[in-house]
Amino acid sequence: MQFHPQPAIGSLVVAAACLFTGLPAGAAEHVLAQKGKAFSVKKLQVKVGDTVKFVNEDPFAHNVFSLSDAKSFDLGSFGQGGSKTVTLDKPGTVEVECAVHPDMRMVIEVGK
Amino acid sequence: MKPHDSRALWIGALIVACLLSWAGGVHAQPLPRDSRDASVFRGGLVFANYCVTCHGINADGNGRAARLYDPRPANLRTTDKNDAYLGLIVKLGGQALGRSPFMPPWGAELTEEQMRDLVAYVRSLNLRADAAP
Repeated sequence: MQFHPQPAIGSLVVAAACLFTGLPAGAAEHVLAQKGKAFSVKKLQVKVGDTVKFVNEDPFAHNVFSLSDAKSFDLGSFGQGGSKTVTLDKPGTVEVECAVHPDMRMVIEVGK
Repeated sequence: MKPHDSRALWIGALIVACLLSWAGGVHAQPLPRDSRDASVFRGGLVFANYCVTCHGINADGNGRAARLYDPRPANLRTTDKNDAYLGLIVKLGGQALGRSPFMPPWGAELTEEQMRDLVAYVRSLNLRADAAP
């Protein structure tokens, strides 16, 4: 017997997944690495509601914070293998820094 | 002006101020590396690079990121902590000592000498008459 997934069922699965993860439908997760005392990308474009996950691939602690009007946050410090996620809920430019390594910076452009 | 430009300016100003201070001193001899003044000088550079974001250039807890935190970053000019305790907070971070988890652990980033210098610099700023080194 062959299984043909129904579109309605697919939508239900996505909706359920969004409910469980707390993400708005259509929101994407972007994963960035912190490696070699640098963010893996210097610029990232996302949409309102998207999340960005920062993964520490260095053998020492990193931090992620931003003082931008579009999103002010500090995700705290986390060691090797650790990760932290932020949700970008307003459009604008978010300048992201690491408090431990002042030269680590990147920019997230949050579009509508 | 971007915040990191401001940090670079502060570091440059600190270096120039210290160089002028040394050049204008009675003794034109360079400071011995292990002298307290040399340690305070080096500690000031470490502070300007790593600590001003939260603690502020005046070390009074009013850095540009201070508004993110509750509790606010410590006012290091009025701290009643001794050098050993300050050194532990710097090395292990706030959380390890039951303080703010937003104070990062610097033990993997700074050398032992840099952390000692940092404590010497903070001590040199302390306004409390009763603060014990």
